[in-house]
Amino acid sequence: MLSGRLTTAAISLCCVLLLPPVLAVAADDAEPIVVRDPHYGEVLFYFYQEDYFPAIVRLLAAQSQSQLENHAEQSELLLGGMYLSYGHHLEAARIFERLLANNVNPEIRDRTWFFLAKIWKQRGYLDESQQALDRIEGELPDNLQREAHMLQAQLYIDNADYDNAIALLKSWKGRTEWASYAKFNLGVALVRSGRVDEAAEILEDLGEMNPFNEELTSLRDKANLALGYAMLQAGNPVAAKPALQRVRLEGPFSSKALLGVGWADAEGEAYQRALIPWMELRSRDLLDPAVQESMLAIPFAMAKLDAVSQAADHYLNAIEAFYEESNRIDQTIESIESGRFFETFVDNDPLDSTGWYWRMAELPEGPEARYLFHLLSTHRFQEGLKNYRDLSYMHRNLDVWQQSVDVFENILETRKMAYDERLPRVEAALARADLDGMVDQKLELDALMNDIEQSNDWLALASREEFEMWGEITSLESTPALAADLPEAKEVRDKIALLKGVLQWDLEKKFKDRLWRIRKDLQETGEALVEAQRARRQIDESMRRQPAEFAAFSDRVYGLAPRIESIKMRVEDDLEAQRAFLRSIAVGELQAQKERLNTYTVQARFALATIYDMATTVGEVAE
Amino acid sequence: MWLYKQIRFTALAFTVLVTGGMSAYAQDALDADATMAQVNAVAAADSESRDKFRVLDQDVQSLKKEVLDLNRDLFLLEEELLFPANSQVAFFISMDVGEYFKLDSVSLKIDGKEVANYLYTEREVDALLRGGVHRVHMANLKAGEHELVAVFTGQGPHTRDYRRGATVKVEKGIGAKYLELEITDRVKKQQPEFEIREWE
Repeated sequence: MLSGRLTTAAISLCCVLLLPPVLAVAADDAEPIVVRDPHYGEVLFYFYQEDYFPAIVRLLAAQSQSQLENHAEQSELLLGGMYLSYGHHLEAARIFERLLANNVNPEIRDRTWFFLAKIWKQRGYLDESQQALDRIEGELPDNLQREAHMLQAQLYIDNADYDNAIALLKSWKGRTEWASYAKFNLGVALVRSGRVDEAAEILEDLGEMNPFNEELTSLRDKANLALGYAMLQAGNPVAAKPALQRVRLEGPFSSKALLGVGWADAEGEAYQRALIPWMELRSRDLLDPAVQESMLAIPFAMAKLDAVSQAADHYLNAIEAFYEESNRIDQTIESIESGRFFETFVDNDPLDSTGWYWRMAELPEGPEARYLFHLLSTHRFQEGLKNYRDLSYMHRNLDVWQQSVDVFENILETRKMAYDERLPRVEAALARADLDGMVDQKLELDALMNDIEQSNDWLALASREEFEMWGEITSLESTPALAADLPEAKEVRDKIALLKGVLQWDLEKKFKDRLWRIRKDLQETGEALVEAQRARRQIDESMRRQPAEFAAFSDRVYGLAPRIESIKMRVEDDLEAQRAFLRSIAVGELQAQKERLNTYTVQARFALATIYDMATTVGEVAE
Repeated sequence: MWLYKQIRFTALAFTVLVTGGMSAYAQDALDADATMAQVNAVAAADSESRDKFRVLDQDVQSLKKEVLDLNRDLFLLEEELLFPANSQVAFFISMDVGEYFKLDSVSLKIDGKEVANYLYTEREVDALLRGGVHRVHMANLKAGEHELVAVFTGQGPHTRDYRRGATVKVEKGIGAKYLELEITDRVKKQQPEFEIREWE
């Protein structure tokens, strides 16, 4: 029976897919459903708080207890959505594959495949991502359709299928922001396929657009930077300079653009002018490779301008700065290799948020983050960090359960002891309670009442007082003195007869009522006896089952510790493997930075030696 | 000039930073001067790293399944040990609409004894308003009649402090029993309403 409650959960198929919040709201058809199973409502309580782990656990538990019968399909879909949110994408896909094979609204089906494709692309499951995209049959809503096309283009580029990528991106329709990104990626695909001239045209076009937001401005900078360096490389510094000068002075690409502007001038032998952007770079962060490079470019230009002594000073400064920076990188590598660095990702954030939509709120403090800023923003590193966090969460979860195992064992043992203590008392009480005898007695009473009713034996139902009174009257009747033929005796006999008549009349009058009451009591007694027999059977059954139940509980409780321990060991292994993976990426990045510094140092030393040689030669000639 | 060529190559080799949103769809490396061999080398290294990540990720996926299954089993075991089905009674709080009442806390008394006092966070209240149902308390009760008193505290109409109780007699038989403590809006009176009933 329904409880008649009206509480509605505005949860729809799209909503449970748990698209990023904005999309989820937009996609939500707000089809209200009545929560019919309390356990389903309980799952929603955690789901709406984005506490996916407890929500999934409750849903799985309720499913296994058949407590979600009124929400069977909804709960499956909800589970799939929550798996996705929790980053359990392979299991989510299995659920969706099963559910989406049925008669699901095609729009929802396509949307689901799109989000799976997107998630798989981010996780590097490129084949799965392509397969998911291939399963989209209809047209997605405009914003998603554009994103799906872009995803497809990226998959082509990742698979070095540049022709298909170019064809897809060239046929891009519409004038939204997506079109600009499509154009940029078209440029990438053209460059990668060796069609640099065509790419330059595209980038030129993009580099001169009028952006209306920060993202597009950044994209324009990126296009101009790419174009400028492509022109420099092609030996066309005159064409390179305007493109590089279009890059904003404040922005992530400005240092590299300033460096390029300097090189464009230097290429035209305008070394004095080249020094202007390069000197600007001196005040910037030495971590930036463009700044590092400028430290060599400046003395290079000075040497060209015959300021040899100043050039030598700058080379010396550069060598020292590179040395110090290289030492700092070594310390950072050491810190990363010790494992401390990755703990900060777990320590700085409570572990109540896990899964797919977790993103770093801010970079952890310390020198490492400064060096790994670029790395921290890449998909693979982010996804690796998510796994690392999820593994840490699991580890902590297992720790907590491990402590609970003792408690479970105590509870079970206490229950066993209480049962063993109570059992003899219960058995004795049961032995005393002769239920069969009571039933026989009840049947005898039924028979007796039948006799009384049939013989209309009203005296049989008299109360004790009435019965005693009846006895007294009848014994008075048989008193010999009253048999005398005297007026006094006759008067007494008449009074006795009157009393007897009144009593009999009264008893006869009450007979039916008394009979009904006794019959009713007997019926209730019968019902109570049936209930007692049922309870007895239950007790017997319970006593019969209890040892097996205790044994089953024991198996479950005592099997826990090794099960938890074994999973925990695997989690620890995976944590170490995940840490090693992240470490190898991070250290690799730092080694590359160090190698670059080493290369620059060698170049600076060589240039310095050349200057000293020149100075010595000039000195000797002068002598 | 060799220096310039050397320097320029390294400058082109680093990639530009792109984070978040639509910009994630802009390809990262646009190395105009990179040869196909270089692009292929980067792609090969990337593919190796991707495969490595994938193997790890699949391990993590399988562990997630095992940990979830374990948590499900432990959750059920805990419940069965602490609240055997025969004596189990669960108390659920639900909310419908919630225009006239902003829930702060709920306290429960069973047979005159306080058994639960729960303070709600905003996130929890929001989850209730959206259709979530909160299991506020579990108890073991003997078969027979019991009295339940629930006191709801919060803000009523016109943001006034509001405290209201609801009482019900509950007949506990054999088997688990679920009770719903529901907060609804009585539109006509512009007042909240509190009801306790069995969830069958």
